[in-house]
Amino acid sequence: MTELNSLACRIGLAALGLLGLCETSLAQRPDARTAVVAYGSDASTLDPQQINSRDTQNIADHVWMSLYEIDDDGKLVPYFAESFSESPDGKQLTFKIRAGMKCHDGSPMSAEDVAYTFKRARDPANKLVGSTPGFVLTSLGYKNASAPDPTTAVIEIDQYNPIALGLISEVKILCKAAYERMTIDQAGQKPVGTGPYRFAEWIKSDRIVIEKVPDFPLRKASFDRIVWRVVPEASTRAAELMARNVDIITNVAPDQIDTINRSGGAKVQSVAGTRRMYVGFNFKPVFNTPGGLAVRKAEVRRALQYAIDVPTICEQLLRAPCKRATGLVNPPNDNPDLKPYPYDPAMAEKLLDAAGYPRKADGVRFDMKLQGPNGRYLNDKNVMLAIGQYLTDIGVKTDVEILDWASVYLPLTRAKKEAGPMFFLGTGGGTWSALYDMADLSAPDAITNPMNWDDPKWFSRWAELNRKQPESEQRRVVNEMLKVFYDESPWLLLYFQPDFYGVSDRLNWRARRDERINLVSATAK
Amino acid sequence: MLVYVLRRLSQSVAVLIGVTLITFLALHVGGDPTYLFVGERATPQDIEMARQALGFDKPLYVQYLNFAWKLVQGDMGQSLTYKSNALGVVVEHLPATIELTMAAFAFATIFAIPLGVFAALKRGTGIDGAVMTFAMIGQSMPSFWLGIMMIIFFGLFLNWLPISGHTPLLAPLLAGDLVTAIHNTPEALVHLIMPAATVGLFSLSRNARLIRSSMLEVLGLDFVRTARAKGQTEKGVVLNHALRNAWLPVITILGLEFGFMLSGVVVVETIFSWPGVGRLVFNAIGQRDIPVVQAAVVLFSFAFVAINLCVDMLYARLDPRVRLR
Repeated sequence: MTELNSLACRIGLAALGLLGLCETSLAQRPDARTAVVAYGSDASTLDPQQINSRDTQNIADHVWMSLYEIDDDGKLVPYFAESFSESPDGKQLTFKIRAGMKCHDGSPMSAEDVAYTFKRARDPANKLVGSTPGFVLTSLGYKNASAPDPTTAVIEIDQYNPIALGLISEVKILCKAAYERMTIDQAGQKPVGTGPYRFAEWIKSDRIVIEKVPDFPLRKASFDRIVWRVVPEASTRAAELMARNVDIITNVAPDQIDTINRSGGAKVQSVAGTRRMYVGFNFKPVFNTPGGLAVRKAEVRRALQYAIDVPTICEQLLRAPCKRATGLVNPPNDNPDLKPYPYDPAMAEKLLDAAGYPRKADGVRFDMKLQGPNGRYLNDKNVMLAIGQYLTDIGVKTDVEILDWASVYLPLTRAKKEAGPMFFLGTGGGTWSALYDMADLSAPDAITNPMNWDDPKWFSRWAELNRKQPESEQRRVVNEMLKVFYDESPWLLLYFQPDFYGVSDRLNWRARRDERINLVSATAK
Repeated sequence: MLVYVLRRLSQSVAVLIGVTLITFLALHVGGDPTYLFVGERATPQDIEMARQALGFDKPLYVQYLNFAWKLVQGDMGQSLTYKSNALGVVVEHLPATIELTMAAFAFATIFAIPLGVFAALKRGTGIDGAVMTFAMIGQSMPSFWLGIMMIIFFGLFLNWLPISGHTPLLAPLLAGDLVTAIHNTPEALVHLIMPAATVGLFSLSRNARLIRSSMLEVLGLDFVRTARAKGQTEKGVVLNHALRNAWLPVITILGLEFGFMLSGVVVVETIFSWPGVGRLVFNAIGQRDIPVVQAAVVLFSFAFVAINLCVDMLYARLDPRVRLR
């Protein structure tokens, strides 16, 4: 086949006078020791303390160690730290650090590097804002970090935090000796890592190449090189995969799934991601409209849950089967006793009648606006239009308003918190803790609470969660709170957004729910 | 002459100020972009810290004055997405775009001339019809569709050409690294074929039609008849007399063509993952990376203003009447 192709190439390119280029043109496939990932956007920086996107974090996960990490099964496991303990009041977290580890520049690593990492992220002179460590350290209640001896690192926080270890797992450990010498700009361009792969090359908007550290003791990587290519156009990514020029592509467009599966060289892996898609009800007084007032009643919100056929939306519009969410927590950490609201429009109508909103002469009970973005989430516009139609069918006349994400919708949901009275949104979650997902609604004024929801039945329980107690007791409180969320329904519950990865048949690799691409554990077939 | 030069210089400065002001206002009219630069779980303190660090907490006129003052000093600020010098980021992407534009320009020009001349010489025949049909199709196809079709056909089915990506050629040359440039040349050329053809096909078609009609016009003129009457060979008539004169209107168009291609490669750069400045600016607008957009606009405006200024001065030098207007 290759010979035939080469002959065809010679005939074709001879016509263009470019015969000599044939061999080069056919040599695009990666060799057996190289894995190639194509994703949609370029890295913004390679300074882990300035990264704020999952795509770039995925590269960083290979180049740096963290104290703990979330493994392929979604569990927190030790990494640069051997073990972890906390003081009785939970305000002092002590990590036993592995000895004998080295930075990629050859300098030895110690607990001093851990302390330096946390201090650098919080040094106002560095202006490291808007990045992952930024929110992690704030959410953690970080106060100070120290290294009493070379194998002991201590992190102090202002109060007991039940998800402290998971938050800390997001922080990549930097080498003090190297980073003290670098400016912030230099740190973003030519990093010195600590993990199983070292940085080799970054051609902006084109590719980032990392190479295996041969003697890295903690993880055994099979590929010598990993190339992270920037291919913004989804159809081009799919073509590259089918031509076997890349091994993994992210964000496969649903309409290309069948084509890739039929190509003979690659398959699409679909996973229910951790991004929670929902329609929020906005309780802000600015929505004192008939619809806005109606959805302030829990019985109306519950009634609306029955009006939406979520599995059909998933099947038809997202091209993936799904189970309807029962709350804001990702399985398997959700409350197993809660059953998804079924699609039952008759029940929805009955409950709305009972709530005091019968159909009027024109068949309409009340009207509402549903706002949301276009192109931000998987097939978002059509999902919103479907929801609008489902609600209109039961007499809740819904006007779907599609807005520009960056300049209109994002400020509306996050700054003014005036999207609505119904709005479509997706927020990232995790697989390792129910509390991490629930933390979106840690306080009525939290920025991740664009509903302005302030139900004391939910918010008053946080004091219990933020108190040290046996795990079973913690789980009981979590389940009770999730039942409150289910009954009060501040969200019109939808689905966990599916993620589609195109994967070459030559690769043993399993897609994860949390959008992490771990190639350290991947192997060639 | 000095007065004329000073007048044109002051006009150019006014144009640059106008461009920066319009760009600045257009980018800021969408409101505070801080939220795009913080994670979705960022706390209000993080957001406020980010706003202050990025300077978006200050009144708009203060932000503009800060920007203008830095601009005068040659500092166009830090890219908000690349976290490094904005002008540096733009300049870094420039060679790829210039490579693509030059290749597309060469493709459009080199193939247009024989096609146009041949069609004119074979006027009314099947060959003429075929060339004109090809030109019509070439002008009708949207570049994004053509690009994807080429990817599917030449990249996927035939596997002749790389589907996407770029091998640097101009950048190592500019850096004086001749060895790398020579080493990269074959791969760089194969990477260029599909994107350059996609960008250049529209111009190729238009130029072929233009050359054909220009040739037909010239071939009917007296001096061509005279050349034939003097016993010139048909080849000599076409190359030495007809084509030389038919060139003039085409050359005028070609000058504009280069600028048109330079600014029109955004879609093609996206389809073929070409790491050029068009795609950079397109993404920067979407991500509200204001310094990068401003740096690119100022750089391109400066280049266009400088070229126009040079041309005007050349005119004034050659034709004294221009100075008196």
